[in-house]
Amino acid sequence: MINKKNNVFLEEYENKFLYKKSKTNLNIEFNRIAFIFFIFLVISIIYSIQLLHLGSLKIQDDIKPLITKKNYRADIIDRNGNYLVKTVSSIDIGINPIEVIDKKKLLINLQLIFPNKNFNKVSKKLEKNKFFYLEKKITANNYEKIMMLGDKSIKSEEKLTRIYPQKNLFSHIIGQIDDDNNGISGLEKSFDDKLKQINEPLKLTVDTDIQFLIREVLIKFQLIFKNIGSTAILMDVNNGNILSMVSLPDFNLNERNTITDLNYINRATKGVYELGSVFKTFTIAAGIDAGLIKPETEFLDLERKLICGKSTITEYDNKILSDLTVENILIKSGNIGSVRIGQMLGIKGLKSFLEKIGVLNKIDFDIEEVGQPIPFKWGKCKLATVSFGHGITTTPLQLAKAYGIISNGGFDINPTLIKNKKENNKKRLIKKNTSEAINKILRKIVVEGTGKLANVNGYEVGGKTGTANKSVKGGYSKKKINTFSSIFPTSNPKFVLVVLMEETQISPDYIYEYRDGSEFKLKGSPRNTAGWTSVEVAGKIIEKIGPILATKYIEN
Amino acid sequence: MKKVVFAIIFILILSTSLVKNSTKEIEDRIFMVNENIRPLNLELGDMLLEYNYLSSPDKLTQYQNKYFEKDLIKIDITKIKKLTKKNNHIKVSDFIEKTRDD
Repeated sequence: MINKKNNVFLEEYENKFLYKKSKTNLNIEFNRIAFIFFIFLVISIIYSIQLLHLGSLKIQDDIKPLITKKNYRADIIDRNGNYLVKTVSSIDIGINPIEVIDKKKLLINLQLIFPNKNFNKVSKKLEKNKFFYLEKKITANNYEKIMMLGDKSIKSEEKLTRIYPQKNLFSHIIGQIDDDNNGISGLEKSFDDKLKQINEPLKLTVDTDIQFLIREVLIKFQLIFKNIGSTAILMDVNNGNILSMVSLPDFNLNERNTITDLNYINRATKGVYELGSVFKTFTIAAGIDAGLIKPETEFLDLERKLICGKSTITEYDNKILSDLTVENILIKSGNIGSVRIGQMLGIKGLKSFLEKIGVLNKIDFDIEEVGQPIPFKWGKCKLATVSFGHGITTTPLQLAKAYGIISNGGFDINPTLIKNKKENNKKRLIKKNTSEAINKILRKIVVEGTGKLANVNGYEVGGKTGTANKSVKGGYSKKKINTFSSIFPTSNPKFVLVVLMEETQISPDYIYEYRDGSEFKLKGSPRNTAGWTSVEVAGKIIEKIGPILATKYIEN
Repeated sequence: MKKVVFAIIFILILSTSLVKNSTKEIEDRIFMVNENIRPLNLELGDMLLEYNYLSSPDKLTQYQNKYFEKDLIKIDITKIKKLTKKNNHIKVSDFIEKTRDD
């Protein structure tokens, strides 16, 4: 029994606990710090996303209240920032007669607001019980008054409208738009897409004050010489920027009339004319540039008459000498002398020169209303007539460009209406000495030749006149195209001014004041030539715009 | 090592958030300013239009005819003088130099 008590039985301890991975495959390694970071990361990402979203808020273009993308059109300003065209919202007032409670009371109230309106018509319209517009584009003051009436039948409609504060002044340049906001002529047409896209106003090269002054002079002389139309172009000879381009007759853009009369064409760009003796400058410039002649080269025993095919070429002035230098051929406007120089150049020489200065082919311009010079076949007789400016046509704009190239030292220019247009590198087309020689001769024409009436003191005006009979089918009419192409100042030309007057008549009452210092006055036009019409107009224009050009542009 | 990476990421996120927050405030202010400028621009445009119309050469000529008896005079460029200031002295000279044939 005791033995049993003292017996110690040792039994090997078998630990049955065994650490095993969970059989559920859910194995989470728990790390407290990592978990905190993870939560922070998630919060930060959510916060960042929210910040990015808030930060990306931008001013949307289509928030503009009334000017939607559909009817938006950029404004147009002149070179000084003056509005030429502006899109503004306007209010039209209409009446729905069905909603009128007291017709008599309404009519009395409306009469107080619009005292000049014919209310008999309004009364009749009210009887018809059909919606009608009472007044379009009303003033803010009248709008306030009419809304104060508090009549439910009065309906206001806000519309976008294109306003032209300068009325007729830039009608041919700017052009018109249709009711669907699409340009149909002028810059409104050629820059249609751009005007719908750009947010800034379209800046032009034109100057409103100069345009006004030139137009005033043209209108005044249209009454004096009774011409059916006229045009004037003022261009910077160094960069082709057009400061003014007037064509008469013009029209008020605000009236939105449909123009069908052909007399309303843009004569400056669309009018294709035979311009006469202004082309002699090109013949002589071509001869000098080719090294065939010099200003002092003499032509002796020039014929009085040349017969070529069916046409006879004579001198306009019978008193012209038969021995003339090149300089005198241009000053005296000799036809035969010009023909001789043309013949020395040959068809190839003259044609390539005319192509180079851009008078033969259609010009690439900012507006689409551009005339195509009438093509012709070159031949011996054609060469002869083209040499003195007959049988060849071009537009006044191309004439201005050509005179610009010849006077600016011989560099190519592209006439433009758009300010800050990228300029190409100046490409020389004719020699510098040709340009200098021609400028001197042009000055002499104004000092002692046919351009005397444009010799405005202080501006060194130079230029060439051109009197041509208007061509009709199969020949020429007695109607005149009088042109004066001028440059100033000739010692360092800055501007070219072309004045063209169509179908001028002699004025028996107009008093010419000579500019030679004699203070001589002459009543009535002696002849219906450029020298007595377009030169006088150019002189008056330069006299008016000269101080502005000199102080505003040349100084800068 | 892991702690350092996490700390860097955390600092970067925090600093980005702070920068973005301040940027957002600035952008909000720019947005507000732009929104306030818009009606002012419209008003300015209308005022300029009115000014351009009332001061257009056509209108000024009308006013001149209506309110003044004397006609406008032409300016003779040869009579315009040029003032040039040099060393506190004002020099008066002709605006254009007379040429030989003038």
